[in-house]
Amino acid sequence: MKNKGLGEFEELVLLAVCILKGEAYGINVKQEVEKHSGRSVLLGAVHITLYRLQDKGLLKSEMGGNTEKRGDRRKRLFEITTQGMKQLEAAQDVRQKMWSLIPQLNSGQ
Amino acid sequence: MSSKNPPKLANWLLSKMVGEELQEEFLGDLQEIYEERLSAKSKVFARCMYWVDALHLLFGFTSFKIFKTQNNNTMMLKSMFIIAWRNAIRQKQFTLLNIVGLTIGISISLIIGLYVYHEKNYDNFLDQTNNIYRVNQPNIWGDWTEMSSTTGPNVADALREEVPEFREVTRILNQGSQFTSYKTKSGQVLSFKEDQLFWAEKNFFKVFDYEMLLGNQETALEAANSMVLTETAAQRYFGLDEALGQTIQMREWDGSSKSYVVTGVLKDLPTQSHLQFDVLTSLTSAKEQMDMHGWKWIWTAFSTYVLVDDGADVALINDKLQAIPPKYAPPTTKRIFNQSFEEFTAGNPWKLDLQALPDIYLSSDPPFNSFGPIGNKQFVQVFMAIGLVVLTLSCINFMNLSTAKSSSRAKEVGVRKVLGSLRNSLIRQFVFESVLFVSVSTILALVIVSASLDWFNLLAQKELTLEPVLMNPVVWLVLIGFVLTLGLLSGGYPAFYLSSFKPIEVIKGKISKGQQGKTLRNGLVVFQFSISICLIICSLFVQKQLSYTSKIDLGLSDENVLQIHNIEQFGFNTEVIKSKLEGIAAVTLVGKSFGVPPNVMTGDRYRSTEPDAQVFQLNNLRVDDDYLNVLDIEFLAGRNFEFERPTDQYSVILNQAAVELLGWTTEEAVGKHVAVASGNEDEFEVIGVAKDFNYHTTRQAIGPLILISDKNDKVWDYGAGLSFLSMKLNPQSIQTSSDLKRVLDQAESALNEVDASIPFEYSFMDQAFEDNFRTEQRMATVLNFFTLMAMIIACLGLFGLAAFSAEQRTKELSIRKVLGANTGQLTYLFSTGFVKLVIVSILISAPLAYWLVSLWLEGFAYRTPMQLGVFVLASLISLIVAILTTGYQSLYVASRNPVDTLKGE
Repeated sequence: MKNKGLGEFEELVLLAVCILKGEAYGINVKQEVEKHSGRSVLLGAVHITLYRLQDKGLLKSEMGGNTEKRGDRRKRLFEITTQGMKQLEAAQDVRQKMWSLIPQLNSGQ
Repeated sequence: MSSKNPPKLANWLLSKMVGEELQEEFLGDLQEIYEERLSAKSKVFARCMYWVDALHLLFGFTSFKIFKTQNNNTMMLKSMFIIAWRNAIRQKQFTLLNIVGLTIGISISLIIGLYVYHEKNYDNFLDQTNNIYRVNQPNIWGDWTEMSSTTGPNVADALREEVPEFREVTRILNQGSQFTSYKTKSGQVLSFKEDQLFWAEKNFFKVFDYEMLLGNQETALEAANSMVLTETAAQRYFGLDEALGQTIQMREWDGSSKSYVVTGVLKDLPTQSHLQFDVLTSLTSAKEQMDMHGWKWIWTAFSTYVLVDDGADVALINDKLQAIPPKYAPPTTKRIFNQSFEEFTAGNPWKLDLQALPDIYLSSDPPFNSFGPIGNKQFVQVFMAIGLVVLTLSCINFMNLSTAKSSSRAKEVGVRKVLGSLRNSLIRQFVFESVLFVSVSTILALVIVSASLDWFNLLAQKELTLEPVLMNPVVWLVLIGFVLTLGLLSGGYPAFYLSSFKPIEVIKGKISKGQQGKTLRNGLVVFQFSISICLIICSLFVQKQLSYTSKIDLGLSDENVLQIHNIEQFGFNTEVIKSKLEGIAAVTLVGKSFGVPPNVMTGDRYRSTEPDAQVFQLNNLRVDDDYLNVLDIEFLAGRNFEFERPTDQYSVILNQAAVELLGWTTEEAVGKHVAVASGNEDEFEVIGVAKDFNYHTTRQAIGPLILISDKNDKVWDYGAGLSFLSMKLNPQSIQTSSDLKRVLDQAESALNEVDASIPFEYSFMDQAFEDNFRTEQRMATVLNFFTLMAMIIACLGLFGLAAFSAEQRTKELSIRKVLGANTGQLTYLFSTGFVKLVIVSILISAPLAYWLVSLWLEGFAYRTPMQLGVFVLASLISLIVAILTTGYQSLYVASRNPVDTLKGE
């Protein structure tokens, strides 16, 4: 599965985890994705993706950060791995390259 | 269901299905997001989304596991699942009909199941529940064949003396409404009216081990003038912290007050109890009354409870009890009635019967409970029947649709067989599909029930809860058993039938599609419609009966009669209040009485003064000379009281029923004499005969009634008991609600001028009559709803069958069209088949409904006539509904262009 590349939603989730820097868990990832993409996302979808990314080795996680709001339960905090970072960058690169190949439309023509 | 907590059921499901390592974060996330949604949006939204998220996580993470392990079984399961899914999608209409019908059916039977479970589990919270019995005796005041839950005070004494098998014997008495007051630390006086106040003996808690928050169970009710409150009652006065040792004043009959010391606070009583009280006072506080009357067997206001040892032979003890009344009751009959025991009982056995505590709430004999709620066995049975019927209906639907649908899969089966599929695996596929359908519907039904239970509780005035019931593993076993049974039954027939096809015949098209089982399907439709029509007729009659009872001629005018309660608290002289009330502009007449219809319950034993006259039980009502005019009572003979004549103080008026019972004609009665058959037998002259009027619930026929002057001091209960002032209002002057408010304010200030400490309470007579049927009204609403649901289920089934039949007959109808039939003829041809089924159902259900309704109506004295119109109406409703359901399909089929349907041939 390693070189399969990232799905669109997976990419959004990975980016959200990066933005949240060590604080990422189910709910705030969901909110982050919703905030930037402007679409509503189900909690379950986020969880499934997070776990899939972890299985792919792009994320790692540990439990922590319990708060009263959650009935004193811990969160699973996700963090990006080096490999994850590499994948993100690779995806970004592909896009960048392809963007640069679009023939420039000159104004005035 | 508290609003703060997320659905427990969803949590429970998650905790069972999802791996331990994931639970903590999932539940945490769910709760966090739930609270956010709760504060941002509505509770319903938050709860629904909680379910969506929880189920999403559940399926997301369990299927993960299943589909990841790549072994043969899970592969097969996955493939079966996919095939089921594809079939469901391909036939969206059938899928939807199936799921909706089943879900409605299961939801309704679940709700009814919860209701029945709730009603059947009264008084189950006590440690000793199964060892507690109540002692009942015959209703010695009327019909001796009927049991009464109350006994005289001496019964408990006698049992203690005679039956060593009883570990404890305890008695309680409902004191009715009492006025209390409490002086706070700041010197303010708080007054309350306590409606649920019992006398209890010191061993009360040994039998009923209610949880005590403060105080000592052993001693709380020992000393005179001690009082135990429930938590809510204590909060009303002073809160929990300083409850013990506080003093509460209680007003006595003569206007003085008595102090009680709080010795204990109980946790609030569970609602599922036939005893409901706020305050207990120790029986030793009533020493005076007990010394004077404690030996009596006719002061039937106590309930006596006994506690036996584990494994006691109750039947044997019960036999032994029968010797007690003949031994202990004679002093009572002798001293009070001057009759021997045998004369008093007149051959009726004065038995004592032990009734097990859990049986009390739902028993219809004895029919009354003076200490709290009593259930209605009839309702429980009716609802149980409806629940079963609705469930059966939806199951039949499901089976019907599955068998109909399956024949269209004959080709699939043929091809699968050609490709080497074994019969077993085909059977498994069909059964799997139907089990899947049933499970999905069951899960949906659980969600719907948990969401709509609040609403149902409001409707039925119950406090049903789903979660605690689902924690019970037996319930889950039943649910799983149900899913498997229904799945096997409905999937079984197509499974075995279809899988037996010879592939060659199927593919050649030799199997005529859908003909098999047609009779069965039609039979099932007839069954469904019979039940629905029957329900429609029944609920129409219930409505009719209820509106009938509210419209029958009561024999009195109950409109615009405002009744002021608590008049007895003002003492004997109420003339001042009366004249003050008469001064209010809108009031035309004011009368005083010691009871108000429909709640006149008091009675005594009377006889005529003729030689050898028999003794009869008559209801009595003490009134002043204006009261009967307030009610606009018609006199058939004689006259009303006129207190200007001194002799009228000791005159009486009888109603028709009483005159008949005493064996007179209306004309003879005036001038005769009646005596109270106990005490000193003073004779009272009959001065009038009143036309029968309803002074009691209209459920019963009008009983014999004797009207006594409120000034008659020769009756033993002179001056005692509740009294009321009833005001006839002029309808012209109370046309708006502000008019009414003004009258009420004026009446209240009139009373306050005399004594401001007595709470002002009022009622309207017409409302009181209506309230008599409130439970029936409520149940009628619920019944209507269930009837509607049953009808919907039946229609879904019919719609499905029509759709199926339309599919099957498309070619036939097209050929007819080619040969010259027009759309109208085709539609007619297509629908008649279904209409015939409905007509058969009408013929079956009408007599059944007739029988059921007449059975129900037997319980009423005034019955609505069984009009043919109702049957016709119900038949029309069902016919129209059936035609509408099939109409769409028939029109669709009939209007299709034959070219489109026949070009394949």
